[in-house]
Amino acid sequence: MLFESLLAGFQLFLTPLAIGLTFIGILIGLLVGAMPGLGPLMGIILLLPVAIGLPPVAAMGFLIAIFVGGSCGGSISAILLRIPGTPLAAATLFDGYPMAQKGRAADAIGIAISASAIGGLIGGVVLISASPLLAKFASGFAPPEYAMLAITGLFAIAIISGGSLIKGLISGCFGLLLATIGTDEFSTGYRFTFGTHHMLNGFHIVAVVVGLFAISEMVYQVIGNDLLKKPDIKVERPGFGSLLRTLRHWGNLIRSSAIGVFFGALPGAGGVISSFSAYAIAKSAAKEGEKYGEGAEGGVVATESANNATVGGTLVPSLALGIPGDASSAMLLGALLILGFVPGPILFEQEPEFVGGIFLVYMASNVFLLFAGILATPFFVYVLRIPKFYLIPIILILCSIGTFALQASVFDLMVMFGFGLVGILFRAANYPLAPIVIGIILGPILENNLRRALLISREGYWIFLDRPVSATLVCVNVLLVAGALYYACRNRKRFFTKQEV
Amino acid sequence: MTSRTLALLVTAFFAVIVGIVFQQIHTSMHEQGIASGGPYDNAAAYPRAVAIAIAALVLVQLLADFISDRKETMRLPPDAFKRAVGLLVVFAVYLCCLGPLGYHLTTTPMVFAIMFICGARQFGKMLIAALVMSFGFAFVFEKFLNVVLPGGVFRLNIPW
Repeated sequence: MLFESLLAGFQLFLTPLAIGLTFIGILIGLLVGAMPGLGPLMGIILLLPVAIGLPPVAAMGFLIAIFVGGSCGGSISAILLRIPGTPLAAATLFDGYPMAQKGRAADAIGIAISASAIGGLIGGVVLISASPLLAKFASGFAPPEYAMLAITGLFAIAIISGGSLIKGLISGCFGLLLATIGTDEFSTGYRFTFGTHHMLNGFHIVAVVVGLFAISEMVYQVIGNDLLKKPDIKVERPGFGSLLRTLRHWGNLIRSSAIGVFFGALPGAGGVISSFSAYAIAKSAAKEGEKYGEGAEGGVVATESANNATVGGTLVPSLALGIPGDASSAMLLGALLILGFVPGPILFEQEPEFVGGIFLVYMASNVFLLFAGILATPFFVYVLRIPKFYLIPIILILCSIGTFALQASVFDLMVMFGFGLVGILFRAANYPLAPIVIGIILGPILENNLRRALLISREGYWIFLDRPVSATLVCVNVLLVAGALYYACRNRKRFFTKQEV
Repeated sequence: MTSRTLALLVTAFFAVIVGIVFQQIHTSMHEQGIASGGPYDNAAAYPRAVAIAIAALVLVQLLADFISDRKETMRLPPDAFKRAVGLLVVFAVYLCCLGPLGYHLTTTPMVFAIMFICGARQFGKMLIAALVMSFGFAFVFEKFLNVVLPGGVFRLNIPW
């Protein structure tokens, strides 16, 4: 079954368009990852309007490659500028920057790229082997299980993605509410449409997300004082010898990738937690003479392999269950839905060739990452020299054209701007934005399955406790909230204030 | 601006949202007959439950913000504040003009204005950069992605 799916996927992937876009996606991903303040999520958001006009496998290849490249690109600025391009690369600073200071910047970048590619490939092996099994297991799920699973995903992300549990839950609920706008699937009545035809299908998710993330980010960027600054960075040229140097740390590589896959598969945990955990474990397991924090190669290997393996891990629940692991995978699920595919067991049953294609583009992305990353590093260094006053209008044009292109609608542009203002307010008040996206994606899954479960139930809400998997998920949800509340009460400071991870 | 002011702003925002939910349930949804009944017909039950959850959580958060003895103040230098407001105003004007005037007439001035807000003063370079950016993106989107950009009342679209 898996073999057939991969074989059929080859036919969809082996087209010049799909291969070319996967390669371009890697370059764009590395670019947005390297630019401080952007990152893979922003890259996916900005290019999603471009992708949805493409054939499905090429579109997903493009977006997945941006995710993969973006997860690695942050290490370039972390090593050269001591500014992680993304939070994912924050732990790479510990040893990457000291390596650069010792004149080994090219080695550090080469090792970061090689470790990312290998970590990503290990994540891919897990993705290819685990997601069909999980999808098969989940094929027996009925509405009660899906409803509880959606709640689990939302709770996990609300709890972990932001510092404050309450704020995370509020953001998540706001996303759920946004998802209710438009025509109700059951009664076909109109909800919150205010009599305008623009709202009959609700707000377009891309317009909402571009506003929330990209517009608010540009406002935050313009507040900075380094708008005209042109960083003085020496051009570095890593070589393929870095791959061998990385493979010497094979134990660290496998362990860190396993950590990355594990945290990736847990909704909400994501790359930041996995890279810091992998670094801590690698440091504690270091051999004598390996000075972590002073430019140890093992430190870079651990963090970079972990954060790229997370991508593979996070795609497992996303594809197999339709439950996104983080905001980036939520956007990938959004793209799948826009392209007309329903993530979850149905996708594996009805579109095995498409699933095979996704597996292949993911694996190819990591292979391309190795080559493109090492060969094109000098280009990314040049790009890092571009002052922000050029970058900000470029992103604003991209936001505007991209959002307009969705439905050729000026209304979408207004929605984008409105949510830009909401994003600024939420950021200022330290409300995490990621749970809003997850809420929008999970909202229809939760509501539809909740109502279906109640329709088939003869005992009302008891149906959620009658079925073993559903009852287990109810317990997991109760434990999640209880644990988070317990932790929050113990750490009152964190509970009552902000702190976005 | 203090963290408490921000907390009040967010509370006001969610109060409006929750208010809209209940207003719509009692007017539009009630008139459509989808505000009551079983799980199939009652399209209002779920948004109502989510709105109640938001209201409860916002109240808890507000309480927590006011009980907490920690008060953070967000200080923004006046120049930075002006830049942020300037960017939002320019972008809002751009979006409003995009429909009537079209992409080609509005994008170059928007890019130029934003670079000016960012502090750039080399007008020649800025103009060239603004032209390259706006026409470059137009070329890529119109030529390769078949996107028809807004032409405005003058129907200005370039047949690349």
